[in-house]
Amino acid sequence: MISFTNVSKVYGPESAALDEVSLEIPTGDFVSIVGQSGAGKSTLLKLLSAEEAASTGEIIIDGWDITNIRRWQIPHLRRQIGVVFQDFKLLQKRTVLENVAFAMEVGGAPTKEIRDTVPHILKLVNLLDKAESYPTEMSGGEKQRVAIARALAYKPQILLADEPTGNLDALHSWDIVQLLIKINKLGTTVLLATHNDDIVNALKKRVVTISQGKVVSDQQDGTYKL
Amino acid sequence: MSTLGISFARITRTAFVNFWRNIWLSVATMVIMIITLLMISFLYFANVFGSEVLQTIEQKVDLSVTFKEDVQDQYITTIADELKLRDDIADVRVISSDRALEIFRARHADDPLIEESLQELEDNPLPANLFIVATDPQHYANIAKHLEAEKYSPFIDQVDFENTETERVVEKLIAYTTSVKNGALVVTGLFSLLVVLIMFNTLRLAIYSFREEIDIMRLVGASRWFVQGPFIIEAILVALVAVVISSAISFATLRAISPTLSTYFFDVQQSPFSIYDYAVTNIESVIGLQVVLAVGLAGISSLVAVRRYLRN
Repeated sequence: MISFTNVSKVYGPESAALDEVSLEIPTGDFVSIVGQSGAGKSTLLKLLSAEEAASTGEIIIDGWDITNIRRWQIPHLRRQIGVVFQDFKLLQKRTVLENVAFAMEVGGAPTKEIRDTVPHILKLVNLLDKAESYPTEMSGGEKQRVAIARALAYKPQILLADEPTGNLDALHSWDIVQLLIKINKLGTTVLLATHNDDIVNALKKRVVTISQGKVVSDQQDGTYKL
Repeated sequence: MSTLGISFARITRTAFVNFWRNIWLSVATMVIMIITLLMISFLYFANVFGSEVLQTIEQKVDLSVTFKEDVQDQYITTIADELKLRDDIADVRVISSDRALEIFRARHADDPLIEESLQELEDNPLPANLFIVATDPQHYANIAKHLEAEKYSPFIDQVDFENTETERVVEKLIAYTTSVKNGALVVTGLFSLLVVLIMFNTLRLAIYSFREEIDIMRLVGASRWFVQGPFIIEAILVALVAVVISSAISFATLRAISPTLSTYFFDVQQSPFSIYDYAVTNIESVIGLQVVLAVGLAGISSLVAVRRYLRN
């Protein structure tokens, strides 16, 4: 369970990215966070991965109050939360396999575990045959699948996807969304920040709409409306 | 292997990869480090050598007091005992008038003319003497001044120290060793600062070239140690290689110049001091000092550079 209680994030005296947001997301849920650019979608996700700290309010993940998380605790949190970005953030000089393995290596996973786990993850994202390819040799959709595979390396409880289809065409976008649904069905809570109305409407899942830092709508089986 | 062991092995491997990827930056830092270590080693050995030369000369230097002809031995002994009580005097030797004559005769035993002359004289022409060795050459002036006091004037004919060539040599050597010590401190300080600044900026460049990897590391939950570790180990690696090269140059140079220095400054008949032998005997502390200094400077600069980057 993820819980936001009266969470605000203020960058300057007159610049509130989030304003008194309260939200509860049960474990295993699939939530689309929608809103225009600058509405506060990315900030909401950044608070969950502790890239940003809330100015006020309380954020709890599975009973762990991360509002005032200590610096040394952040790596532990991030190994429980997978993050996927619009710009993929892949290491260009490493192969697909190495990119995924890298995430496990930095977390101190034993070599044998990495060798056993990475092929399974690549199979899940349908990239096993591209294991030795470099990101520069891949399409946008494939790169995003590598990023998702890396995010799954720790078997996270939560997957944060910040505009994962922003750089992709319609076909590849739908491919990525299908993958996110598959991951969600395996038990991972998925938070998808997007402004792609076609995807949100087709998903028929919970939709939280943010406008000017406030939650203006929260619907189960919702649709995209601004 | 434990998680800690696995992490350490991976961090070390990454450090080596970084070292090779930034080979020119690594070499530039290493050259500065080597120059600094060579300067410090040179000053260290110059100081050791200077002290040794000074000590040898000090052993030869003394202050001699010549007594008036009619002074009785008991007064000489009293004055000698009195002087022995002073903290600035290491040794006092009394050469009585008779003993002085014995020594003179022994030295000129092969010269019949001198022997004849002595036999013609009715009295012993040689006065009694005191030879004083100070605990530090700087004290001779004070001791000489003390002996010039009025209470000694009925007994002492001459205090032989002031304005002598020996005094000037001693003064010069003291000034030389003090300058070397002060110079060593200033130069060591300046070069250390230079190393920290260069290393700090080199590492900032290295960190900048790895910013993508660092950001991804942080994103996927790498610990602080995993992010910082490779840069710190890389800096320590540079420092250790610099110590090896600097030590090799130092020892080779000392070996080459040591015989010439020994011949020039010491009496070759009496097993002269060899700076190379000194370095070999003290190899652990000589290299240990460099390792502590180099690793310390490298460690501090890398830690500050990485922490500053991560804080931003």
